[in-house]
Amino acid sequence: MLTAENLVKTFPGVRALDGATLRVGAGSVHALLGENGAGKSTMVKLLTGVYQPDSGRIELDGAELKLGGPIDAQHAGIGVVHQERNLIPAFSIAENIVLHHLPQSAGVVDRKRMRAEARRCLALLEVDLDPDTPISRLSVAQGQLVEIAKALSLDSKVLLLDEPTASLTGDEADRLYTIVRRLRDAGRAVVLVSHKLEEVFAVADTVTVLRDGHSVAEARPLTEFTQGQVIDLMVGRAYESVALAERHVDPATPPALRLDGVSTVLGHRDVSLEVRPGEILGLYGLVGAGRSELAKALLGLERITAGTVEIHGKPARIRTVGDALSRYKLGYVTENRKDEGLFLEQPVARNIAVTVWRRLARAGLIPDRAERKLAATYVDRLGIRIASAQQLAGTLSGGNQQKVSLAKWLAAECDILVLDEPTVGIDVRTKAAFHELIAGLAADGLALLLISSDLPETVSLADRITVMSEMRVVGELVNDHDYTRMSQQIIRLIHAETHTSTGEVAAA
Amino acid sequence: MTAITTPTASRRYLRTSEFTLAVIAVTGFVALALATGGNLLSAGTLGAFFRFLAVPIVIGLSQMVVLAVGQMNLSVGALTGFCAMAAAWLMLKAGLPAPVAVLAALLLGLVVGLVNGFLVVLTRINGFIVTLATMTIIQGLRYGVNGPDTFQGYSAGLRKFGSASLLGLPVVFLAALAVAVLVGLFFARGVAGRKLLASGGSPFAARLSGISNDRSLVIAHGLSGLLAGVAAVLTVAASGSVNASIGDDLLLPSFAAPIIGGVALAGGMVSVTGTCLAAFLVRLVDVMQAQFGINPRWIDLIIGAVVLGAVLLGTVRAKLQERRSP
Repeated sequence: MLTAENLVKTFPGVRALDGATLRVGAGSVHALLGENGAGKSTMVKLLTGVYQPDSGRIELDGAELKLGGPIDAQHAGIGVVHQERNLIPAFSIAENIVLHHLPQSAGVVDRKRMRAEARRCLALLEVDLDPDTPISRLSVAQGQLVEIAKALSLDSKVLLLDEPTASLTGDEADRLYTIVRRLRDAGRAVVLVSHKLEEVFAVADTVTVLRDGHSVAEARPLTEFTQGQVIDLMVGRAYESVALAERHVDPATPPALRLDGVSTVLGHRDVSLEVRPGEILGLYGLVGAGRSELAKALLGLERITAGTVEIHGKPARIRTVGDALSRYKLGYVTENRKDEGLFLEQPVARNIAVTVWRRLARAGLIPDRAERKLAATYVDRLGIRIASAQQLAGTLSGGNQQKVSLAKWLAAECDILVLDEPTVGIDVRTKAAFHELIAGLAADGLALLLISSDLPETVSLADRITVMSEMRVVGELVNDHDYTRMSQQIIRLIHAETHTSTGEVAAA
Repeated sequence: MTAITTPTASRRYLRTSEFTLAVIAVTGFVALALATGGNLLSAGTLGAFFRFLAVPIVIGLSQMVVLAVGQMNLSVGALTGFCAMAAAWLMLKAGLPAPVAVLAALLLGLVVGLVNGFLVVLTRINGFIVTLATMTIIQGLRYGVNGPDTFQGYSAGLRKFGSASLLGLPVVFLAALAVAVLVGLFFARGVAGRKLLASGGSPFAARLSGISNDRSLVIAHGLSGLLAGVAAVLTVAASGSVNASIGDDLLLPSFAAPIIGGVALAGGMVSVTGTCLAAFLVRLVDVMQAQFGINPRWIDLIIGAVVLGAVLLGTVRAKLQERRSP
């Protein structure tokens, strides 16, 4: 029914999809699987007209589709529920459901028809909600149902669900899948993107697995696979590991940073981990597992509600980033260097010195020379390639920008660093150099908490790996740097269904 | 999927900011009436009270329309003055009949508003900056119409419309209320109005529903300009004479009415009733000043403080609601 052949989509620096194919038949539930960054979300966005493919062909019932925008996809009969919520909170359920084709006469909204259509869509799902209720009064799960109703309101033949159960409880998920089965039996095609393999195996008929933008399994019956085989397909990516110098951390060394049973306002529950000086702790998880958020809570940007944070054995109460830096020598190299890590319109020297202005200042003024001297030290040490220290940070390449972002925390003489996705958007060659640099920092005695969604990167750099899923730690592994074995263990930890308890998973 | 516990409609209404404002407005009015020994209720004073409430209501709505899409329009005051001067010029210097001049003023407001909208959409420059620039340009044009001189003695019919009363209320005030009802219907029922609010409330969700956010911006600015034109016509009719300073004192009130009225600065939510009630309150403060001969500087201070307080109150209320429904 719906086929997408050899889709290619490039973003600056990244080939998100590189010849991926998806074939979905009517009256079936098709699972679209893949690791972080494999291209699932890009595929969904191409099929729904949010992005346009660079090349490739999308066909629906044998006719080629050219999707100029989301509305084209809807008119063609492709409905979607995106991963992030897309309802307008101040509007009623009914209005949200029909927003893309508001019934009207002479420019005035026909509320009667609007309600009738909304009731019809809600009835398809056998959901009992008053169409006049504003969205802001609904629970997350109810909102999700409204989005599905919205996707159905144009008699979509194909329904794409991107991680539909990410924010649902087990019960709510079960009910959702009952609805999915009912839609399938009514002859619709459902494409399900999910990282919860148990759910996928329970509901899906066929499967496509994406890896590095390619489809490595195309529309195969799911019964041909075991969960383990699907995982092998997802992670078996070609990877040349960089030979990094061996480091040895004495497990008896007291940890530089220790979290014990930490919960936060963001929903983290009982998070415990520790990092020793000279050690790299990898913090792996799917996008949205709450890793960056944990780092931000650690820096005092979000409130910690329970548990203790210890730095060098002493309980720490970090209220602001300034606190973290000046009192605890804890630095955070942000994931989003363009918005949060650098002042793009300022020279490199000023970017590096920003954390230590107070130390450099003479009578409240910052001597240019001191700034330049400091910058020169780190430009040398990190091998930052610049024309002069006065070059604007915005004109540097991604890798060099990241080094500048790192340099400012080193300048502040931090001994604990949180590195959040340090190599995102950096080309492969620079990446290897960066990995050596990070390993070098650990060898110099820094305690590093490495947040990365790049599995090979985590496996090659980390000494130990803590795996997070849905705001909780689901397991900790000692890294033996054997990529195949480690990656499978990690993916199993994540995909182990949330219905099983944490203890059992860790024991498995 | 669980049933929602809904308080009865009336209970919910008592909690709205509109209801709070209505109570404050009535209380304030009664208090002022008592304090002036009933002077406020004399036919002349009461007529003047409502006659000069017309423009603040319309100008508040003019600002509210752009706030709905998360924008601001700094040029509303200057544009009102410019349209008023243009209308007067057309009647006195070009010798055109009043209805033509009125239509021309409305059209001029609409066109300048659309220009604002297209500038915002095409340049992608923040609306605040764009309208700051157009405000300055319009101020120059407004002065260019007649220099420092005053226009007066134009169409008797229009001035009569400005001073006429119906059922004890000035016709210009009733006209402003009619405009408010139309704006209210536009946002409550009109397809374009709903799309505007969708764009303001969640641009990405709106885009996924096939709504053009650019189009919403242009419509909002165009409508804002048109309402400035309406304010200009009411000014010309009610004041009997216009000069190049008309509109200079409208910028703060244009923001005061919607903000005190509970309109979200971030866009996506409007309140016509709230805006009208807030304009009423501001007018009440004005009259208090006149009745007691308070230095006008104090009035600006009070209105400024009330605006600040309303914004703070709005933030606190939003936080409380967030805490109640996590």
